[in-house]
Amino acid sequence: MRVLLLVASLWLLTPAPLLYAQEPTTRAEVLRRQREEKSQELSPPEPSRLERVLLDLETGRLFERLLNPAEGFYPKIGNITTGSGISFGPAYRTPGLFGGHADFSAFAAGSFQRYWMVDARLTMPRLAGETVLLDLHAQRYDFPNEDFFGLGPESRRQDHVTYGLASSMVGGAGAVRPVPWLALGGGFDYLTPSVASDDDRRIGTLFDDASAPGLSTQPDFVRYQAFAELNYRAPRGNPRRGGRYALAIARFDDTSGDRYSFRRVEADLQQYVPILRDRRVLAFHALVSASDADAGREVPFYLQRTLGGPDDLRGFRHFRFRDRNLLLLQAEYRWEIFTAVDGAIFYDAGQVAPRLEDLSLRDLESDYGIGFRFGTANGVFLRVEGAFGSSGGKHFIFRFGHVF
Amino acid sequence: MFSKQPRRAERAKRCWPTSRGALPGISRGRAPWLVLAAVVAGFAATIGGRAAAPKFFSDDPIQVDDDRAFDAGSVRAIEGSNAYDFAEHTFLKRGDRSDIRAANVNTLDEVPDSTWFTNRIGRVAISIEEIVRGPNQFDSLVIDDWPIVQEKSSGITPGYRVTDPSGHLYQVKFDPPANPEMASAAEVIGAAIYHALGYNVVQGYIVEVDPARVIISPKATTVDMSGRRRSMRREDVDQIFSRAARLPNGKYRATLSRFAEGRPVGYFKYYGTRPDDPNDIHPHEHRRELRGNRVFSAWLNHDDSRGINSLDMLEGAEGRRYIRHYVFDFGSIMGSGSTVPQVPRAGNEYILEWAPALKTLATLGLYVRPWITVDYWQGARSVGRFEGDFFDPIQWRPEYPNPAFESMRPDDAFWAARLVARFSDDAIRAIVAKARYSEPSAAEHIAATLIKRRDKVLRTWLTSVNPIAEPSLGSDGMLTFENAAVAARAASAPTAYVLTWSRFDNATGSNVGDSVEMRVTEPQAPAPKQLLEGADFVSVAIQTVHSDYPEWRLPVVLTFRRTASGWQAIGIERTVAPRTR
Repeated sequence: MRVLLLVASLWLLTPAPLLYAQEPTTRAEVLRRQREEKSQELSPPEPSRLERVLLDLETGRLFERLLNPAEGFYPKIGNITTGSGISFGPAYRTPGLFGGHADFSAFAAGSFQRYWMVDARLTMPRLAGETVLLDLHAQRYDFPNEDFFGLGPESRRQDHVTYGLASSMVGGAGAVRPVPWLALGGGFDYLTPSVASDDDRRIGTLFDDASAPGLSTQPDFVRYQAFAELNYRAPRGNPRRGGRYALAIARFDDTSGDRYSFRRVEADLQQYVPILRDRRVLAFHALVSASDADAGREVPFYLQRTLGGPDDLRGFRHFRFRDRNLLLLQAEYRWEIFTAVDGAIFYDAGQVAPRLEDLSLRDLESDYGIGFRFGTANGVFLRVEGAFGSSGGKHFIFRFGHVF
Repeated sequence: MFSKQPRRAERAKRCWPTSRGALPGISRGRAPWLVLAAVVAGFAATIGGRAAAPKFFSDDPIQVDDDRAFDAGSVRAIEGSNAYDFAEHTFLKRGDRSDIRAANVNTLDEVPDSTWFTNRIGRVAISIEEIVRGPNQFDSLVIDDWPIVQEKSSGITPGYRVTDPSGHLYQVKFDPPANPEMASAAEVIGAAIYHALGYNVVQGYIVEVDPARVIISPKATTVDMSGRRRSMRREDVDQIFSRAARLPNGKYRATLSRFAEGRPVGYFKYYGTRPDDPNDIHPHEHRRELRGNRVFSAWLNHDDSRGINSLDMLEGAEGRRYIRHYVFDFGSIMGSGSTVPQVPRAGNEYILEWAPALKTLATLGLYVRPWITVDYWQGARSVGRFEGDFFDPIQWRPEYPNPAFESMRPDDAFWAARLVARFSDDAIRAIVAKARYSEPSAAEHIAATLIKRRDKVLRTWLTSVNPIAEPSLGSDGMLTFENAAVAARAASAPTAYVLTWSRFDNATGSNVGDSVEMRVTEPQAPAPKQLLEGADFVSVAIQTVHSDYPEWRLPVVLTFRRTASGWQAIGIERTVAPRTR
């Protein structure tokens, strides 16, 4: 009891400064103690796994190498042709050859649909102060399942068959660009097309050389081409204003005789009308293609232009319509949803015809739809679209690159 | 505020002398219980009466926070990912979002000097020449024959790194071809303003690079697109020049930034603290100068104000190392987007902001974001997109959410706006002149827009709290203070000030005795003599009556301490309306 009383007395009589000798008396001391406390429990910064991965991707420039590498090997991902599905393969690019004048690029790509393509080209884009461009290229491809429904606007959906198309191509091209928005040029190519038509549901079971010219024999061709292009779209990869007007004239010479020689003239017009400081765009596209052969000669079906698929009549199957002449009209309303995503409402209309004078604005095949485009202000990386309202049913489109 | 006192329970636990078993005889009879109760009661009374820290310490208000006290030599360099930083702040809510007063302000509601911030324009009057000079040691630099030693390691602007004759490292960044002078002008204007405000920024100069006099060090390397490091070649430099604006004299204008002293150890985030730095104790989202940076960023349209654009440098001698924190990369402020003119969205909306995006999506674009229709002055390409008419300081946004900006309260914004108010029209024009725009109309537009935006900032944030500042209590008992909003001509004079005087007990942190209320129309008033007599501390709560600003009714409490020569202002506490967002 006495001990307890003694403790109590001492406690109550002890001066506060002695009792709380540890209490800080200045603000600086308060802060110093907090820092001292923290110094006892330091730990290294630990970035999360996601942060480490993203950092590695950035510092390794992997994104650039995947999307737009300047040189070296990289994986090529995309669509090698309409209907190929997504294709993959190695690619290689080396710029600055021959004293910095030439760039070389090559790729080999294949898809799960057994489509494949090998391509190599040597381009000289910086001649004469970047006003002259020369290009040499070689290509080999095999597209084993191309769709065919017959020729003409009345072709039937139930006549759907397929054929294989393989070809090599070697050629060159050149262009003069006196001002950035104008290009005049031409080129030539040597083509070796061959058609495969042997299995079930293949083209030979329903069609013959009369209904599908060129089905029985496929000669080699030399193609000569000249073009003029006026292009003031801006930005080029995902235009919001300006236009592109191109006119191309081509001649296909049958090297084994003249049976399949023909001429082709194409006018391709694009116009972009900006609204609301480019945040909305009305985009228009018109394409007219006319192929003409002399009397007694044919335009082979596998070189005829087609309508149908994710780039033209989006509410129809690939190559749904095919003939010598073609008219395509497309209109889109595009609106920016946020920085990397645009929405689009579109309407496509088109027609094929055996004779140019048969093309008209009546009885056009048409579709409409809505979609989203992912990319940047300078280019569209991916588009996802739904196309409706056609006699060809509904179509869902997942496609790399822009439509026009 | 700087107070982080242990909780009372924790203090009690720490001071408890011994365990129950150490008290002999405690279980025998009734008396011991009574004695024990007395001891406990006395102990509790002692704690309550003696242990509570005073509200104001003897060194309050501190002017310097010594955050170099402990050795930070063991910090590890960290790297930041742009993609992660964007994703982290866009999709997650980082940091403590408590609606609390800034953690690092002193008792006068000011930011003490530290490795983060040095009071300059806010504490003393500095000349326009000093503001313009900013952090620079030299008037100008000529870098002909300075060897290129490496590529520029990050960022989208073309450039490289050189060393001066003494071997010090500098970074060279060029203007984009379509917008000559734009990025370099933004860089030096931003650096001068941020330096004057009090931030650590690196030295930056505008230089002209003669491509014929470029030298590449034999040791210079670059990384090619395959990720391989190789020797730098002349064509690499030519490639850089091909992406740069060429002057009529054949040279290339660039920003030359001197690397800061010390060893780079990464960057700071706008939330949390650095776990390996013993001196970093205040959560960054609660640092006043980082919260207030939202005001400066809005003023300058510094939409790139994010952690990635900061730099931590390790300085000091062995065993006494500390981190100095820098902000940098002002090349995309005002109307500049570094390599292109600033996009119209910048400053108006986050890169990814759901509400307007969903509205635009759902209405197929019929909903038009207001910023889309803004017209920009196009008199000179060096300006980019910069305007002041549509600018709304409240609605302004960085590229993506910033935890410190989102934690900003009206008192933080008021502190920052008072600094902005220190930039006179003449000072702004002189800073803009440092950018050496070749077209006078460009300089005029930039200066006029900065002045217009400054005035909007002041009208917005000097009026968002009761704007009482600069209090003084003379030895004659006359109180004077300033209405910062009125002084900056951001508001008209109020109808009246209602003052409530009290004696203040520093030990308990509360007022004692009767209070005295008075109403005055001017920012001065005599303190009640009877209240001052014999008092060591007095406080006065001031409410401001203004029909346009009802929030000015929220009191500002000023506290004064008696000194040998009179009275010292030691406390300013602003009452702030709770955050509503």
